Amino acid sequence: MASSGDERAAAVRVIGGWASHYAIRVYVALKLKGVEYEFLQEVVGNKSELLLKSNPVYKKIPVLLHHGKAIPESMIILQYIDEVWASNGPAILPADPYARAIQRFWAQYTDDKIAPASLVLRGVTNGGKDEAAAQVSNALQHLEEAFVKCSQGKPYFSGENIGFLDLVLGSHLGWLKAAAKIAGVRVLDEAKFPELTAWADRFYTHHAVKDVMPETDRLVEFNAYLIEVLKAKASN
Amino acid sequence: MEGKEENASAEAAPLKLLGSWASSYTHRVQLALRLKGLEFEYAEEDLANKSDELLRLNPVYKKVPVLVHGGRALPESVIILQYLDDAWPERRPLLPADAFDRALARFWCHFADDKLGPAVGAVFTSTGEEQEAAVRQVHENLALVEAELREGAFKGRRFFGGDEVGLLDVVLGCGSYWLAVFEEVTGVRLVDADAFPLFHAWLRDFEALDEVRETIPAVDRLLEYARGVRHMLLGLAGAGGAGGAGADAPSSTAADAPTASPPPAAATATAADIAVDI
Repeated sequence: MASSGDERAAAVRVIGGWASHYAIRVYVALKLKGVEYEFLQEVVGNKSELLLKSNPVYKKIPVLLHHGKAIPESMIILQYIDEVWASNGPAILPADPYARAIQRFWAQYTDDKIAPASLVLRGVTNGGKDEAAAQVSNALQHLEEAFVKCSQGKPYFSGENIGFLDLVLGSHLGWLKAAAKIAGVRVLDEAKFPELTAWADRFYTHHAVKDVMPETDRLVEFNAYLIEVLKAKASN
Repeated sequence: MEGKEENASAEAAPLKLLGSWASSYTHRVQLALRLKGLEFEYAEEDLANKSDELLRLNPVYKKVPVLVHGGRALPESVIILQYLDDAWPERRPLLPADAFDRALARFWCHFADDKLGPAVGAVFTSTGEEQEAAVRQVHENLALVEAELREGAFKGRRFFGGDEVGLLDVVLGCGSYWLAVFEEVTGVRLVDADAFPLFHAWLRDFEALDEVRETIPAVDRLLEYARGVRHMLLGLAGAGGAGGAGADAPSSTAADAPTASPPPAAATATAADIAVDI
């Protein structure tokens, strides 16, 4: 992975975007750890030199730059933050090995099942909207049960504080709300998912989250713009 | 100290691994357990007829491997490997100590399963132009790994983990043996020693390790298995016996196949379950 090498740059920089749920995870994690960072906004459809140099394999956001060292992949970044700033605030992953594994499992499951379905509901990728909604619903059912087991009556999957799985699933909330509006479907149904609905409210209003979680209407607008950009690229 | 006592009794709890003999994902866990010197019970799953135990222990994905430790089940090979490191930190760690090195190892493990593995699998399950495209993908992906060995993150190292094998060696290595097998069965060239000298050397050193030789099935068993699966997938006549040369017939002769093949769904399920990838 490339090195930035610019001595004048801030020690911690994040190549990301205000609308990217993967990037939002990183912003919240850094805020939780009290780490200052430079926010670098990627322009949709026009990848920066820095991004291409920092993540040559995938060319995707987010990328964390720490003293010039580039770390891509949001879940890898979260674990890096957890390890480097271990003495700052609560741990992102729990100490218990089994609990860590369970959080990693559900986090991977979340991105596996919810991320692609969300893109279909948003109309960014092709697919059946009903099937996508069902896939999200099925995933949320599993996660509702997981929440009860993991939280043990506490506010978050990780207990008292926001942790790894909270960050991974929580970061999807903004787009899930927008996707529901765009596709005209119910996603986080309070009747079906009472625990997750209550957890989502707590997550949204958490001090580390509320400033970086975009408004639904802003996301809906951005989604329309994104689709236009993708269409233009496809026809070129 | 209380913590230590708890750990000791947790660590002492029995280990059981549900797996499949041809699954590279299963091999990863077997290898890691051997590297760490951990005793375990092994239960072979018939993937065409999954046990109640497997379905109960991995209801979400219903796949192997599943590690059971002290009655608690964990699926997903890379998650299991990290669990082994977390639960037995004093026994031959798979991940390095430095946070950035850990991130690098995790990144390339992700790449192995996200890009390289599926590309190799695509070579195996396709023919003609589709296969040519898949082969190009594999070469592009291998070139990226070769570059890291030559001048990048893993420059100068014998193994990705350094002097000793680590997480990435286990993940890439348990699956790389399919490369030679697929070359033999499909007749395409995947790992040219001239094009990828460092990757080739690494693989040779990896496969020479005692624990690896204990874990990876004999190559003729793998060949027989791969020929059988490819035959099912492509519905070709005359499954390759000992004399079968590498090259599969081009797709135009597939129509001549007189032999009835098992339903495609079963064949696909089998290939996916054994995770024929790197």
